[in-house]
Amino acid sequence: MANYKDYGLRKPDPDFERIKKTVKLEEPDRVPLLESLVEYPVQSQFLGREVKSDDIKSQVEFYYQAGYDTVPITVSAMAFGKVDDASPISKVIQKKMLKSEADKADMTKWSLEYKSFINDRDDFDTFPWEELENPDLLKSLYEVGQYLPEGMKVIANSGKIFTLTWMLMGFNNFATKLIMDEKLVADVFAKVSQIQLMMLDKIFELPYVGVVWLVDDLSFGNGPIISPDHYRKFVFPWYKKIARKCHDNHVLVFQHSDGDLNPLMEDIIDIGTDLLHPIDPTCMSMSKTKQKYGDRLAFAGNVANELLRSGSTDEVDARVKYLIETMAPGGGYCLAAGNSVTDWGKFDNFIAMLKAAEKYGNYPIKK
Amino acid sequence: MDTRLEKIKEAVVGGKHNEIEGLVKSAIEDKVDLERIINDALISAMDVVGQKYSNNEIYVPEMLVAAITMKKGLDIINPLLLEGAKESKGKIIMCTVKGDIHDIGKNLVIMMLQGAGFDVIDLGVDLTTDKVIEQVISVKPDIVGLSALLTTTMPAMKTLIEALVAKGLRDSVKVMVGGAPVNADWAQKIGADGYAPDAGKAVELARRLVA
Repeated sequence: MANYKDYGLRKPDPDFERIKKTVKLEEPDRVPLLESLVEYPVQSQFLGREVKSDDIKSQVEFYYQAGYDTVPITVSAMAFGKVDDASPISKVIQKKMLKSEADKADMTKWSLEYKSFINDRDDFDTFPWEELENPDLLKSLYEVGQYLPEGMKVIANSGKIFTLTWMLMGFNNFATKLIMDEKLVADVFAKVSQIQLMMLDKIFELPYVGVVWLVDDLSFGNGPIISPDHYRKFVFPWYKKIARKCHDNHVLVFQHSDGDLNPLMEDIIDIGTDLLHPIDPTCMSMSKTKQKYGDRLAFAGNVANELLRSGSTDEVDARVKYLIETMAPGGGYCLAAGNSVTDWGKFDNFIAMLKAAEKYGNYPIKK
Repeated sequence: MDTRLEKIKEAVVGGKHNEIEGLVKSAIEDKVDLERIINDALISAMDVVGQKYSNNEIYVPEMLVAAITMKKGLDIINPLLLEGAKESKGKIIMCTVKGDIHDIGKNLVIMMLQGAGFDVIDLGVDLTTDKVIEQVISVKPDIVGLSALLTTTMPAMKTLIEALVAKGLRDSVKVMVGGAPVNADWAQKIGADGYAPDAGKAVELARRLVA
């Protein structure tokens, strides 16, 4: 099995205080690394053995060896990334909503990327919500505690209130009903949110959870998917409840959304978000965002996935150097990819990103 | 403009789907020219909707409800038009390219193109080059619209254009491209005829391409 030495990385010394200081807009010893998802093929390549979604021990090992202070674990009905059969919502749909066992082999029958399940009030009433309230969904979160090295904490990937709602309803159906049957949409939002709030109570019982990360894409590259007013009415009040609950339990709140969030930035701060990720490099300026909101919000991300896919290791090194020099002085910045570390990026570029973080990320930041 | 047409236009722009039928029926009873109701009120309203969407004055839900409203109005007029008078602005086939199943953008573009009077055939998602070529041969569209969300799938646009050239079909059809990672430079680089950044602009582009 490969470890940090094989990549010339520093000896791991995870310390969640590093993240806490950064979020408080203070300078820790170095710029922390942070991801809410490194895809399993990348973890597998790093460790030199296969890492699967249910292999929590290996996942902890990967994040530890790669130099992270946190390990992300999905606790919501939808995992970050693709809606595959590892996603809890997919398991519920497969178990309760397929007509035959054979349909499991056909992704178009159960994946929310292809098919929706709540078209009207009857569908809402008969949807097996109780399955999503099943504490078994927290199995990985309970398991991870025994593997955590000293200093490392867990990120509970939650959220997906907006995404899960529209995916359950189908995008066009959701968007039109938002105006033509507002009550139905509000009820789906409420149901999805209440389940997550209920899960939080169980999450807070685990002292090793340091962050709840709301992973929910709110914008396209040209602006919000629905109007800011609709977000304020249907989505943000739930985020606010989650954030308040987290803070009452001394857990940090991070938020992820792709797209241009400029029209929503004040709302994101008002919700109580501690850190925003990834400041989508395809449509937002990291330096301008930092300049405008950096005294009230910490950031992570912006190493573009396209750069990780098509760039050279030198280009990745230069981008990391720029981001750290621009964003990290005074704290408030964690180094991360422009979305997540995907299996379609170059592995060497991922390693180059980790190495550049070591090279340039020690405080005080030198230019 | 005729106040009856103005009201129909406002109803579409405002997504007043419960009011449109009454307004259109009333205009028909008043012998307002059907072509004018279509072109100067319904289609013209969708142009305003497209602009408002491009300017972030409205968002996807408002745009979709405007399109539903427009279609309700059109459904009242269509049976009254003489066969042959239903003028199509052009025939377009649309799909996401091979490997890409993300169709939100494509569906919005289709809806806006239909609202603008184009005859649109939705080929769906994850289309192989061969399948698109097959459709170009059988449907004989004026335009092929290609959508990609991922940088990993957008090269399939180039592959398709190369295949159109190889099959001798390139001169008979225009190609328009769009999607999050796509831009005008990419469109030019792969030899597409145009790029549109959103659904409203896609209508403008399609009109230019068939002009």
